[in-house]
Amino acid sequence: MSMSQEKLESFRRAFPPSRGVEEIPGQDIPTFQVERELLPELARRLKDDPDFDFKMLSDVCGVDWPERQARFDVVYHLYSLTHNHRLRLKVPVSEQDAVVPSVYGVWRAADWFEREVFDMFGVRFSGHPNLKRILCHPSFQGHALRKDYDPGQRWLLREGEQDEPSWAREVQEDEDHFETQVLNLGPSHPATHGTLRTVVRLDGEVITRAECEIGYLHRCFEKMSERHTWNQIIPYTDRLNYCSAMMNGVGYALAVEKLLGVEAPPRAQVIRVILSELSRIMDHIVCIGANLNDVGAMTPFLYVYQAREEIYSLLEACAGGRLTISYVRVGGLANDVPEGFEEAVRYLLRRIPPLVDDMERLITENRIFRQRTEGIGKLSAAEAVDWGWTGPCLRASGVPYDVRKTNPYLGYETYDFKVPIATTGDTYARYLVRVEEIRQSLKIVEQALKRLAPGPIITDNHHVALPPKEKVYTEMEALIWHFKLIMEGMKVPKGEVYGFTEGANGELGFYTISDGGGSPYRLHCRPPCFAVFQAYPHMLEGHMIADSIAILGSLNIIAGELDR
Amino acid sequence: MSEASVGKPMLPVAGKPPAGPRVSDGSNIFLTTKLDRLIDQARKNSLWPFPFGTACCAIEFMSTIMSHYDMSRFGAEVVRFSPRQSDLLIVAGTVTDKMAPVMVRIWEQMAEPKYVISMGACACTGGFYRAYHVVQGIDEFIPVDVYVPGCPPTPEALLQGLLRLQEMIAAGETHYQRMVAAARAKAKGAVS
Amino acid sequence: MRNTDVVVCDPKPLRFWQRFYLVEVLKGLGVTLRHFLGNLFGRKYTVTVEWPEVKREYSDRLRGRHVLLTREDGSPRCVACYMCETACPADCIHIEAEEDPTSTVEWEKRPKVFNIDLLRCVFCGLCVDACPKEAIIMTRHHEMAFTGREEAVATIDTLLQKGPIDRIDLGYRPYYGRESRPITLPIPVRVEPAPKAPRPDLAATP
Ligand code: SF4
Ligand code: SF4
Ligand code: SF4
Repeated sequence: MSMSQEKLESFRRAFPPSRGVEEIPGQDIPTFQVERELLPELARRLKDDPDFDFKMLSDVCGVDWPERQARFDVVYHLYSLTHNHRLRLKVPVSEQDAVVPSVYGVWRAADWFEREVFDMFGVRFSGHPNLKRILCHPSFQGHALRKDYDPGQRWLLREGEQDEPSWAREVQEDEDHFETQVLNLGPSHPATHGTLRTVVRLDGEVITRAECEIGYLHRCFEKMSERHTWNQIIPYTDRLNYCSAMMNGVGYALAVEKLLGVEAPPRAQVIRVILSELSRIMDHIVCIGANLNDVGAMTPFLYVYQAREEIYSLLEACAGGRLTISYVRVGGLANDVPEGFEEAVRYLLRRIPPLVDDMERLITENRIFRQRTEGIGKLSAAEAVDWGWTGPCLRASGVPYDVRKTNPYLGYETYDFKVPIATTGDTYARYLVRVEEIRQSLKIVEQALKRLAPGPIITDNHHVALPPKEKVYTEMEALIWHFKLIMEGMKVPKGEVYGFTEGANGELGFYTISDGGGSPYRLHCRPPCFAVFQAYPHMLEGHMIADSIAILGSLNIIAGELDR
Repeated sequence: MSEASVGKPMLPVAGKPPAGPRVSDGSNIFLTTKLDRLIDQARKNSLWPFPFGTACCAIEFMSTIMSHYDMSRFGAEVVRFSPRQSDLLIVAGTVTDKMAPVMVRIWEQMAEPKYVISMGACACTGGFYRAYHVVQGIDEFIPVDVYVPGCPPTPEALLQGLLRLQEMIAAGETHYQRMVAAARAKAKGAVS
Repeated sequence: MRNTDVVVCDPKPLRFWQRFYLVEVLKGLGVTLRHFLGNLFGRKYTVTVEWPEVKREYSDRLRGRHVLLTREDGSPRCVACYMCETACPADCIHIEAEEDPTSTVEWEKRPKVFNIDLLRCVFCGLCVDACPKEAIIMTRHHEMAFTGREEAVATIDTLLQKGPIDRIDLGYRPYYGRESRPITLPIPVRVEPAPKAPRPDLAATP
């Protein structure tokens, strides 16, 4: 939701154009262009003034405009939990003097986001404590998301050139004159489920310092999206959070639809809700299962995975793929669901609860599990917000922020469901929240199923959606539209939009800029994991080494989404 | 895939020229008996996979070892996360330039004989990531025995790949076995 | 957000008897024992698909290997319009066109070369959606494994439909009208008859 008029007015009064704050009208959220000198003061005020109360920095990204004098824009997206409003700030800088003051001191969430902008565009952030490449490897030359960087240009990283935190080499002794030890967890480690690396300094078994290294799965999603048409990006979005592929596609399609001004027909929306919620269940199942597996409980994983396999079966029957389904299209869905869909979903509604019950019976009250997770990896609500956490992890810390409630999309406001929260903010709370979310999702699916009415599944706007096949085979006009859409891609009007949905891990944002062409000018994905994971090394300090595994599992870090 | 195509310097490098991945020439192998056949039989039915899962394919790999497909029915049950304890490297998922040295290190650490299955489009060729940070096929770095297409391959496809590998082991066609055979032939030639 | 929209799920304090490990352990054992005994005597919870003897029955929309359909006279339906090549996000289709000598109209083209690099392909189905002639569709043949990269490039000879269309194990294709098979859950399986001769349309694949 955008800011109320009087709040906007007071913002304009506090920062008039004479001070170098210029409003850019006609945007989806209030947008201001800010001189970089003013940024620290502005940021501090926006965060601390109760009128604005932007406690959360949701996203920082860069945009390259090679033909402009001030070549780069650094774009900040702010969110206020109390007022439920958003703000976008743009700080232009030139290539010769690409330095912006860091806002790390105001919002800690800026930590990795700023590093990413540095890595991708070469914009430096003065005052950032640890400004170095984050996604690309250290031997990489150039900045990949600049428009003049050739997407196929690779650089070889050789053994021994990998990045190492500067403190890892120092010899350090603890108070008893025992040498502390530096240990490398990952990137190929059974408990990291993917490709994360954490370097920890150990004093005995206690972690005294930690640093994460990510980017081992950086697949250049954002660069690739600039080279493909709007609909060709759907398969790429599937591979962001691959545990719940459907939801990424929905989030992306909603963002583009917002830009286009079209809406999916009701039937498509209901199907999107059903499959999204089933995907959420799947994602939570994997997260919980893997977490349990890591702390030593294999059996529940085997039980709940059966449910997952059956959801796969349903997705495959609808879309044709098990994991990466490419089912969503801008403006609707690729195909209608096949016959028997409703019975199949009803079957799942019957099938999943007993499996979850079995798992709960084994785990929830299990004293061993509770002792390993209670009080472990605690993060207070204020800290979690400061780090930019969203999703189940934030809710476990007691902040009831859920995009489905605060900014409903796909008609979520009409469904009756509750947002589970917990107050302790530890690993056990995150487990409890996820289990409850599975149950709430089942409730949503049940209601959505009742609303499934026949109808079209994709908009009939022939500038957006491919015409039906039988028309393409017979009618000349349809064939021409078909040809145009395939060869040139759909034309999305010039503009920019920040579309955000509630992914399995939290706020999944797609900041989309179109220049009117057949593919995005810039597509930035705001992955929820990214914000969550940057707090991880700080959470580890003072914990035992074994706890680090339990914490990591409970955060549900999906490398595909983290590194994109 | 021949050995020659392994380890060509193919990328621009900042700094010193690259050292190609080390490919063992099999010179430490001396056993030459008919027993090999029997051993191959045993080996093929007791593969110890090391799942080098990096991305979405790893999730399908998980499905393969879970109840519905249960890879243990093919004797490849004990998934080991230590390269020293495994002889089959299953590369499941995208390998990026940042990850490649790690993968090569793991492959080098594996005890011989060792086999490699490349699972999924990304590991085989880079898939649709023709991009600045993605390895365009792991055979740039390590020799691959079986390529399993798909994105991700269905569990059945992976099992099919496993069966194919088993056949290859029985027939002595894997990369490793051919290398050993070549080394032996060379040694023989030198003696006579 | 209203308070009524929130459900607080805080940990319940452990009850007295839960403080003993043994009770919980026994309860857990009960669950696993139930599954174990159920499987032992009734295969009540068994879900394993005994592949390859038993096959999981995938839906008609499974995206597997491609097939190029032919007209009645056996010539490919494809008119080499390059739409699938353009739509492919992986750029794995390679087409070279030539003039169709048999055509009655001018400008009719047909593919001389039609290669799909199956190792590049991400099986997204966009090529099927793009084709204006229903020339390229997908089969359910997904159990593939190759030993070399060259082997995986499917050429027009191997891609062309062999035999009548009802012999093809049809997968993802332009969909209109009724589905031939509705979704069923639990996961349907089918028992393979004893090793069958390779099907003609797929004989070329390993
Ligand atoms: S092949 Fe496809 S599913 Fe596998 S890792 Fe690559 S993108 Fe993911
Ligand atoms: S399925 Fe997708 S990747 Fe494969 S050939 Fe068709 S369009 Fe290309
Ligand atoms: S889109 Fe269809 S007709 Fe056109 S080249 Fe491809 S297969 Fe042939």
